[in-house]
Amino acid sequence: MVNAGPVPPASPANGFSLLIAALLAGDHAAALAETRQLRALGVPPEQIVTAGLEVAMGRLDEKCTVEQFNLLEIMLVGRAVSVVVHELYPEGIQPEKGRATFVIATLEGDVHDLGKNIVRTVLLGKGFRVVDLGRDCPVDALAAAAEREQARAVLVSGLISTVVPQVRRVRAALRARGLDHVAVVAGGAALKQLAPADLDVDYVAETAFDGARYLENLLAAEEAAA
Amino acid sequence: MPQLTLLIRGERHVIDYEPGPSLRDLLDTTDFRVRSACHGLGACGLCRVRPLDAAIGAPTPAELLQIDPSARAAGVRLACQIHPIGDMTVELLDPAPPSDWRTPPPGLVGAVSPAPSFDRPPPPGIAHPLGVAVDLGTSHLTLAVHELATGRRLGLRFGRNPQGHHGADVVTRLVAAGNPATARQLAGEARMAIGAAIADAAQREGFDTARIARVVIVGNTAMLALLANRHHQLLLQPAFWTAQLDCTPTDTADWARDWGVAPGAEVEVVPPLSGFVGSDLLAGLVASDLLAGPAPALFVDFGTNSEIALWTGAELWVTAAAGGPAFEAGPGRCGMPAESGAVYRVVFDAAGRPLGTVLGNDEARGLCGSGLVDLVAGLRRQGVLTLIGRFADGRTAYPFVVGGRTLALDWRDVDALQRAKGAIGAGIAVLCGQAGLSLPALRRTVAAGLFGRYLDVDNAKQIGLLPDVPGERIELAGNTALAGAVALLMSESTRAALLHARAAAHCVNLAKQADFDTAFLEHLYLRPMSV
Repeated sequence: MVNAGPVPPASPANGFSLLIAALLAGDHAAALAETRQLRALGVPPEQIVTAGLEVAMGRLDEKCTVEQFNLLEIMLVGRAVSVVVHELYPEGIQPEKGRATFVIATLEGDVHDLGKNIVRTVLLGKGFRVVDLGRDCPVDALAAAAEREQARAVLVSGLISTVVPQVRRVRAALRARGLDHVAVVAGGAALKQLAPADLDVDYVAETAFDGARYLENLLAAEEAAA
Repeated sequence: MPQLTLLIRGERHVIDYEPGPSLRDLLDTTDFRVRSACHGLGACGLCRVRPLDAAIGAPTPAELLQIDPSARAAGVRLACQIHPIGDMTVELLDPAPPSDWRTPPPGLVGAVSPAPSFDRPPPPGIAHPLGVAVDLGTSHLTLAVHELATGRRLGLRFGRNPQGHHGADVVTRLVAAGNPATARQLAGEARMAIGAAIADAAQREGFDTARIARVVIVGNTAMLALLANRHHQLLLQPAFWTAQLDCTPTDTADWARDWGVAPGAEVEVVPPLSGFVGSDLLAGLVASDLLAGPAPALFVDFGTNSEIALWTGAELWVTAAAGGPAFEAGPGRCGMPAESGAVYRVVFDAAGRPLGTVLGNDEARGLCGSGLVDLVAGLRRQGVLTLIGRFADGRTAYPFVVGGRTLALDWRDVDALQRAKGAIGAGIAVLCGQAGLSLPALRRTVAAGLFGRYLDVDNAKQIGLLPDVPGERIELAGNTALAGAVALLMSESTRAALLHARAAAHCVNLAKQADFDTAFLEHLYLRPMSV
């Protein structure tokens, strides 16, 4: 188990295994029970994220790479992760506690947000703070949220190609608020046909995990530079 | 079912059939049509066959007239005059040239219940006027030709919508139509397909297209907008999904000329209800008399885009659920439309092996929707598939032999079926929520659309595709959109019922429902539907 940290008298190692198994099985009730068990053993929320949720996300990434998950399984894992994150941070993850904040939305003109919800799950599972603006979201509302939440990046998804003009407006909307440093990541069936330059974004993610890896690498590079 | 063994230019094909129609009519639903030009009256003498081993009665007067004695002595008969009842081997002496059009299998097109009144006069000045009803669907076009004075059906044709090569789904086609040249091409393709189906029917059923005095077209909103080449780009904007959209064509005189119908023929595109609910749903509601029958009543028109209506007795709630193409051509390996070569029924033998029945051919090419439902429900019962839709033993595909070929049900086929039924189940749940109803309250459920009457209701209930209500409250209605369009050809009272349904309908946009995602997840499971 990674990041075991200071271990309380009753070892939580088994609890982490059970939590990871429950998350991967999409069993949100069991995942919640294991999370409460670990908290009762004195394990801090941060450690449950790093040694539980993140490990589960890593395994899910491997499995998704070989295309073995159907939509129901992914949605069940998503629900389990959301339930655990809500248990650990009922008020939401505060900016100083999470590793970074991302703002995510499906832009105006598109209401297909299944893919966006999967990305949110992966990022939550990796311990990031994610502000979800939902679907059919105006570009200006996205930029305003990025400013208000001190986001490191904004993520936009699009299933249908009519949303492309909206995606192209994101960078300018951020610049108008002096947010030149905010990265823009795009994903979704329509957008991943296009190159970053076509969309005026920093990265076009092939999958939810691909997008998460890009953001992790971005943050790691910044830390190394600092 | 008895079997027909067909010998065609040295090839041998064996197909199952249900006795009743003439041999010509039976073959018209398959890939093995004979030549014909007289609606099976025995007047053209083209449908020559040689039955080899069956007792089929003496030649009819038409055969005595059409077939000379030496050919008669050699056993030549007319397919339109023979009504097979048991196993039979027959040589097709004059197969028809290839065509994109078929007679749909019996049971694919619904009937209007109760029968419509004949109170709509045909346009004046056209002798022996005919009417053509068209259901323009995303994947298929279905068309019926009727005598306007008597209601008698002269022909029924079914084939692919040729726009499919621009994308199987509505959105891809709408996006492609953003280019004006492509939009003109898409409109032309749909129009020419209608013309080609009319021509195929006219040739084989022996009528003059100049007798066609009225054409009534129903369809989903996107197909009607693309046909008219009007306002289709608005459909890509969510603001228009629940708004009314004008798809009235401006160039129907050109269409009439292209199709060779009577000068002065009426060409009528029945306006859709909203951006995402087409006139196919409205026609289906009047064909099944939903607003006049027992309530509460649920109506589901199954397709790539399934339209759903719930009539409470006082209010009509409608929506559309984009479930994906699982029932016709999913992303897996074995899905296909209900065309020749499709396995449409699967049962299991005592050893638990699946046995399939193939539509209109003896070589299986894939599974259509009803076959997929049978197979998945059976594998679920056996425990081969789990509640979540995975193969219990960890495999990713289930191979099975049917029609001499090995097909494989892939986990993606199952996933696509789950997505489709999940969207429909969630749509039903949202409408029930709007109406304050639960499923056991339903007194009537009409399952319309591509399954025809081939859907196994118990299997559909078991995996949650249909509500878990007593079987006698579920009707398999087939293509009700076409049935409704036929009624509109001849009946003013059907038109009045359609206007009534249009005025009563409240459109619900599923994407705007806060509880849709949760309902969708709950309905992805392979288990009976509960709301």
